[in-house]
Amino acid sequence: MEKSLINLDKGTNCSAWNYCGQRLATGSTDGSLSIFDSIDPNSSSFSCTSKSKVSEAGILKVVWVPPEYGDAVACICADGTLLLWEEVGEDSQSIKWIKCKHFENNESKALDLQFGASFTSLKLVAAYSNGFVKVYELQDPLDLKKWQLQAEFQNVIDSVPMMGKPSCLSASISWNPQRGENNQSSFSLGFNSKLPQFNSSKVWEFDEAHQRWLPVAELALPGDKGDQVYVVAWAPNIGRPYEVIAVATSKGIAIWHIGLMPDTDGKLSVEKVALLSGHEGEVWQMEWDMGGMTLATTGSDGVVRLWQSNLNGVWHEQATLETASS
Amino acid sequence: MPGIIMTQDNTSTSLIIPFVPPQVIRDPTIYTLEQTPKQPPISRISISWCRGNSLRLSFFQTDDEDISSGGKVIEVKLSSEDSGVDDLERRKIAYGSVSPFALLQSRKNSVAALSMMGSSNQFDWWQHVMEYSKEIKSLLGNPKPPSSSIIEDPKAVLETVEAPSSLKAAWELMETFYADKQAQAWLPERLVDWLGVMIFLIDYNSLLSSSLPTVHSKLVDLQNELVNNQAIEYNPKYWDGLASALAIGWLEIVVKLLRMHGSYQLDQLGNRETENGLVEAVAVLVSKMPRMRSELDDTKLGECFKTKSEFMKAWERWRGQIAKLDCSAFWVQCDHRQTREGLKNLLQVMLGNTNILSSVTCHWMELYISNFLYVRPFTMGLEGMYSLAQKCMQLKPLSNPHSLMGLILGILGENIEVVLAECSRAFGPWMVAHAIELFTAGSTQAETLLHEERYNLGGISMEELHRLVYAQILCSHALTWQIAPVYLASCTKQGMGLLEILLYKQPVQHTHLLLKVLEICRLYELSSISANIMKIAGVHHWKHGRKGSAIFWLQQAQDEIRLNKIAQQLFDFVGKQISDNSFKQWEGLIELLGSEARTVGGLEFLHKYRDFKKSLQQVQAGKAREAAQQAIESLIQLMKNPSTPQRFWLPLLHDSLILFNWRERPLLNVSQTNLLLNKLQELSIGRLRPDYHEPDLPAQALNSVRLALATNLGRAILEER
Repeated sequence: MEKSLINLDKGTNCSAWNYCGQRLATGSTDGSLSIFDSIDPNSSSFSCTSKSKVSEAGILKVVWVPPEYGDAVACICADGTLLLWEEVGEDSQSIKWIKCKHFENNESKALDLQFGASFTSLKLVAAYSNGFVKVYELQDPLDLKKWQLQAEFQNVIDSVPMMGKPSCLSASISWNPQRGENNQSSFSLGFNSKLPQFNSSKVWEFDEAHQRWLPVAELALPGDKGDQVYVVAWAPNIGRPYEVIAVATSKGIAIWHIGLMPDTDGKLSVEKVALLSGHEGEVWQMEWDMGGMTLATTGSDGVVRLWQSNLNGVWHEQATLETASS
Repeated sequence: MPGIIMTQDNTSTSLIIPFVPPQVIRDPTIYTLEQTPKQPPISRISISWCRGNSLRLSFFQTDDEDISSGGKVIEVKLSSEDSGVDDLERRKIAYGSVSPFALLQSRKNSVAALSMMGSSNQFDWWQHVMEYSKEIKSLLGNPKPPSSSIIEDPKAVLETVEAPSSLKAAWELMETFYADKQAQAWLPERLVDWLGVMIFLIDYNSLLSSSLPTVHSKLVDLQNELVNNQAIEYNPKYWDGLASALAIGWLEIVVKLLRMHGSYQLDQLGNRETENGLVEAVAVLVSKMPRMRSELDDTKLGECFKTKSEFMKAWERWRGQIAKLDCSAFWVQCDHRQTREGLKNLLQVMLGNTNILSSVTCHWMELYISNFLYVRPFTMGLEGMYSLAQKCMQLKPLSNPHSLMGLILGILGENIEVVLAECSRAFGPWMVAHAIELFTAGSTQAETLLHEERYNLGGISMEELHRLVYAQILCSHALTWQIAPVYLASCTKQGMGLLEILLYKQPVQHTHLLLKVLEICRLYELSSISANIMKIAGVHHWKHGRKGSAIFWLQQAQDEIRLNKIAQQLFDFVGKQISDNSFKQWEGLIELLGSEARTVGGLEFLHKYRDFKKSLQQVQAGKAREAAQQAIESLIQLMKNPSTPQRFWLPLLHDSLILFNWRERPLLNVSQTNLLLNKLQELSIGRLRPDYHEPDLPAQALNSVRLALATNLGRAILEER
């Protein structure tokens, strides 16, 4: 069953639903951030409750902050800056959206960012056009203004001297969605750039003992390491004995199984279990459903595809959602 | 129809079924979304899963001058089960099946517990399953009570009694073959009954085949003609209908129709005596047909025999009587040609003439049933039933088989995988999740298959997979998510993981939902998820100005980190503005926290600090000595208490300068002064540490405190002497 929820303003460019699907944040080419709300949790009627101009440049991407840290979104702007806006109020009348943080980065543009929440802290990972990754940590769980840069590194396994200046077109970050108490902070990251060693998706894990980020797995076969990565998506794990990560590259969508226990070198075992083709051209986005069983993807062919594995572990396209006009 | 996903291949498919028969990969089902923006081009699509199986899609349009609209957000529910059941009905079934399911699971657990304890209490599990099955079946549409009119329409041979439900038909079929152990001895009979029940389904025709004629449709035709036709025996349709009805064992209809024969008319009896005798003889034979079963409904004709030997004896006798009648001399005396031929034809049906049976039946199922009834009476095993079914299908092939047909073949072929796939494809996840209980009750093959843990499925069994899939569908609707936990709780491996995600995705800023979620957390002992949810609620309140509720929920969540931050904020706030009106504000807040505040470190400190500040304020207001003494008591308590953060020591001491320099006499005794001096020393050392937090105080604060304390010490020593 299909239902229309919201008509978007002209110029709307990106959108994101919050954790419970009750609020939609949209960003526009004119730099305005709009919030749509549904008053009743059971209703599907949404109305715009806030619209603020947050940037002179357009907004390319909006991401919600995990709900344990309030109602806030991060925006990636066309000029490459990162902004954090938050909803606050002293009472129900004075609720408004205010800017709480502006992450500046002079030389390079932010390409993607994602929040990773553990029981004790909130981390923000941002990938930049110069091939660097920055990890910020929130200092005060009640104050989204206070961030500290925890780490800065490149998406490479061996730090070899770089020839030339890397220039990346896009990047994709996906945190391990698991929020267990004993869970390590980890995320996967891939780039779409001209420099092959940056591209392949790696799994980065935070080493508490030495307070640093380590690459624990690389999600590319030897011949495919330079492939441009469009999107990575880490599947929720509700009890599998392995993790599942989908990686979309120029060759198709690969499904990877990642072992849970590291070997003696601290690396995780990886296995590519499928390569799915269907989207012609670039893959824009990949999203796992809440059980991690179905992968929804969309790409420049303008079609939404749903993928599942059958009982024998064979991945296949389960359904295709086409637009009436396509 | 706008708003409905149109399936192009025109099959009824439930979209989210991570189950396709092994080795078979179907082409993806293609859906066309009708609600998308009509004006191309779409520049980008954004996808987001909501709870369960609903997918939200944002369509953005290029920012061109000549395009007026700006895109759209739509929601697509991917669990479009199409089993002829509407949403409301489906929810009713979903709610109704919760308690039988839960009861069966708890029984299963207690049985497992008993067998663990070594108790050899042998009892028949299938009886529990049958009880469950009956309850589920009752949800799927009940037969209405028999027609309310007292005077039966003598010309009505067909009745329509029940609302259509192929869901129920499928359930009954599986119940018979898997769960009902009593049915095992006479499965073919039960299959015949099952088809007999189909007559009462309005969609009988659409069930068997949508366009081809069936026995039922023939009889409907005939019934229409009966109304205006007096001498029905002249109508070939009459005899044709009779033979067909007899072939599939609708004996009551046959007898009723036979008694409409013209020779029964009072004015005819005289000159059609022989003819009438033959008609009646056939009617009697029909009504005496032996059946191998324990009992028949009162309204049903035929004679029952419980054991095979008794049945076979009766069967031989009955066949003998038919053969005898067939050779009787009376036929020569019967000069009504249609009657003679028609009746002879009926005898051939009863004698099991395969050519005749094939010609009077339309659908393979009908031919199949007629074979059971007249060719190979009810003694066949499943294997025989399967090969017979295949033979019948060859004789009467179908272009567009109904989903129930696939189900029957799967059952007869003893292929549980096919049965599951057919169930899933035709009736959706509700059916599979619930029917699995029937399968596992019935066969060890099924049990092994369904309970085996598979690596490819992430270490779960097929049983668990299907429950998860069904629970996920329940999750997608605001009115059904609350029952999903019952099913998730029965999934031992991954159920709790999915339940945690489901609960985490509830909009907890709505208090009633928050309470509901917390209740579920309590039931399933999910304390960490409930703490997290209370944390979300607390932070939401805090950021929206409801500080009291915020502190309440954060305390419930035992979130010390955030509570300490709040305590610090309050401290900073009050530390600066002691004489201000705002004193009353924060004082009220601490009051609101009540005694429970003592459980959490930071706020316990705040509570004491409140007492200290109060006394200090009174001192400044001139209520000298007593208040000063009280302030000293509070100060000592604060400084002794380990929950007082070190960063507050100096501000506290600095605030107390007025007490240390008390003019009349020293307020601190020697040991108290020593305690404070020790703390001050500790503070000076702590200052060297890198994480030291420099308070917002004058630079000489530490020294002035030290000086004051030293002076006080001197005076106290003198006084104590």
